[in-house]
Amino acid sequence: MNTSDIFNFLKPKNELENQGDTLAAQNQPFIPDELWVKCPVCKKPVLSSDLNENFKVCPSCGYHFRIGARQRIEITADKDSFEEFDADMTSVNIIDFPDYTRKLKNAKLNSGENESVITGKAKIGGCEVVLAVMNSQFMMGSMGTVTGEKITRAFEYATEHKLPVIIFTVSGGARMQEGILSLMQMAKTSAAAKLHSDAGLLYITVLTDPTTGGVTASFAMEGDIILSEPKALIAFAGPRVIEQTIRQKLPKDFQSAEFLLEKGFVDKVVPRSKMKDTLTSLLILHGSVPEKTEEKEGDSQ
Amino acid sequence: MFSKILIANRGEIAVRIIRACREMGISTVAVYSKADKDALHVRMADESYCIGGPQVSDSYLNIAAILEVAALSGAQAIHPGYGLLSENAKFAALCKKCNIEFIGPSAEMIERLGDKDEARKTMRAAGVPVTPGSDIIEDIDEARKKAEEIGFPLLVKARSGGGGRGIRRVDRIEDFDNAFLSAKAEAKSAFGDGAVYMEKFLCPVKHVEMQLLSDKFGNVVCLGERECSVQRKNQKLIEESPSPAITPEIRKRMMEAAAKAAKAVGYENAGTVEFLLDKDKNFYFMEMNTRLQVEHAVTEMVVGIDIVQWQIRIASGAKLTVTQDRVFLHGNAIECRINAEDADHDYRPSCGRIGFVHIPGGPNVRFDTAIYQDYDIPPYYDSMIGKLIVQARSRELAIRKMKMALSELTINGIKHNRDLHIDILSDPDFVSGEYTTSFMEERAKRKEKSE
Repeated sequence: MNTSDIFNFLKPKNELENQGDTLAAQNQPFIPDELWVKCPVCKKPVLSSDLNENFKVCPSCGYHFRIGARQRIEITADKDSFEEFDADMTSVNIIDFPDYTRKLKNAKLNSGENESVITGKAKIGGCEVVLAVMNSQFMMGSMGTVTGEKITRAFEYATEHKLPVIIFTVSGGARMQEGILSLMQMAKTSAAAKLHSDAGLLYITVLTDPTTGGVTASFAMEGDIILSEPKALIAFAGPRVIEQTIRQKLPKDFQSAEFLLEKGFVDKVVPRSKMKDTLTSLLILHGSVPEKTEEKEGDSQ
Repeated sequence: MFSKILIANRGEIAVRIIRACREMGISTVAVYSKADKDALHVRMADESYCIGGPQVSDSYLNIAAILEVAALSGAQAIHPGYGLLSENAKFAALCKKCNIEFIGPSAEMIERLGDKDEARKTMRAAGVPVTPGSDIIEDIDEARKKAEEIGFPLLVKARSGGGGRGIRRVDRIEDFDNAFLSAKAEAKSAFGDGAVYMEKFLCPVKHVEMQLLSDKFGNVVCLGERECSVQRKNQKLIEESPSPAITPEIRKRMMEAAAKAAKAVGYENAGTVEFLLDKDKNFYFMEMNTRLQVEHAVTEMVVGIDIVQWQIRIASGAKLTVTQDRVFLHGNAIECRINAEDADHDYRPSCGRIGFVHIPGGPNVRFDTAIYQDYDIPPYYDSMIGKLIVQARSRELAIRKMKMALSELTINGIKHNRDLHIDILSDPDFVSGEYTTSFMEERAKRKEKSE
């Protein structure tokens, strides 16, 4: 029913009431860019503060936004428990690859970090662990010699001190700019993981979106227990390359965490909000003894 | 003064606010859901924007869309009306972040007065009488001892409570432990906060509230009381001003208490302090509503002040020119809320196409509505479709006038409660002015008996 024909409303010719000189008249509404974020999956707008409070997971559809390594450590490790290892290690242009020096400089500026992985020890639920968190903001988390060295040292520290290792992975694969030296890291990290395993110690990997290439083909899939975040892309070669090679259409959700769960490559898909509790339970189940801390958070169950 | 305001509401209150703006020369922006595309407020505003689907969560509570429309249209202020986002502290804070004036109190004020326990403490500290009871007590033995002091019957109430949950009435000390623990458990599960306090259960009681206006300069004026005891399931049906139960002496003390309350919290803009009046005419602070109320029109009719226009002026930074010594309640005003419901079938909502409409008129007869002939009432929103308000020189004359106006009111095509109101206005308990909040319940029982 078209009501615009029925109502003969006019705009009353009233001048704006002038109640003195007030600032209100000059105000113009302005929405700061950082206020909202649009969820790329459900397209609904989310308040940035709401998103941060919800572990950067969309409250409407559950889409897991990518988070930086420092933020990951904050929501996983107990408050103030993280002690970083090898913070000052940085890469050099070992094989003189063109433009690599500039790319490294930009990566440091953009991410605020020195490399694509942060390692250290921490407490999770009171249990002491060695924690490594990869950083997608630094050259897409690609693995170069420094990345491989830091992870290896983390494993060696854990082996020596009889601690479990937890690694959060996110990576575009081996770092092309360091050539065969990057590929070598696959073997090096795997060897360190094996020695850690031979010592009877627990190694858990948490695969996050996207984990691909040389990282998937080495330490990421060597965990005793492999967890993943929902809908994470976990691959060796990317989907497009595979499609072109086999000339077949790929199944829906190919290389998603849920697909891998089905095929037996992932042990459990855990939403981000439950990750810390899951890790804590697994650690305790495998012999970690949680240390009682003074500040007890009420009812986190 | 704002040159453009966005009205974040619908129905009769959106129309009310738009009318106030049109008088003041302010341009108006309406927002509407898909179900409201033929609504009156959309037709009346200078600009209108569809912001989502029929469900309120998709449209009228869609904060992102509303703020976007404000930015797009250049609206300098948002009037939230009542209900919906009017007491949403997060929304008020976001408006501020986006440089939009929220027409109401600050986000901090809304949050502060929304915490019932904190509100009681604040009022008590300010010397405002509060329902006898206790603050939050965690330990059951301590609580039981305090309960004996307070006396029975009493209510155990959740601090974060609402919607009738987290409340238990206790009549005897033997029932106390059970009630205390179950109220805590219910509150913890429903609101995530199991803290409870206690209040003496006052019965019979009258609900009398005070209308306040405060500007940004600390000036507070109290516009008198409204009695709202005719309620069905905690929903008000009829309101009147002045209250037949209040003597000038009690009025003076209540107005002073309300103004003290406003000053104690540094309140800004329009607000209402709700009191309970017991049979001995003692009054106690119950809670404070930090928004414009449905029944604001009753006060407007006896005091002769446009409350919505003052809300806008105050928000724009103007000083209140109304002073307490110039506030008088002239005669009596009564309001009847017209709901689209079937009074004969347990008040189930009635929606659909409205047929012929005739709106009563005459001196001091006012009907605030958003309906019109051939309008389709959407089923997604509350059932109130209009408010009929009259004002006369005395209470008796006001009742006569209301009966006259109700008898003329014609809204065909749907069921509404006009006849119920006529019936109530003839009820001896209403006419005597001695009705309490148990009025509708008692009336229902009497009807059952007689059938």
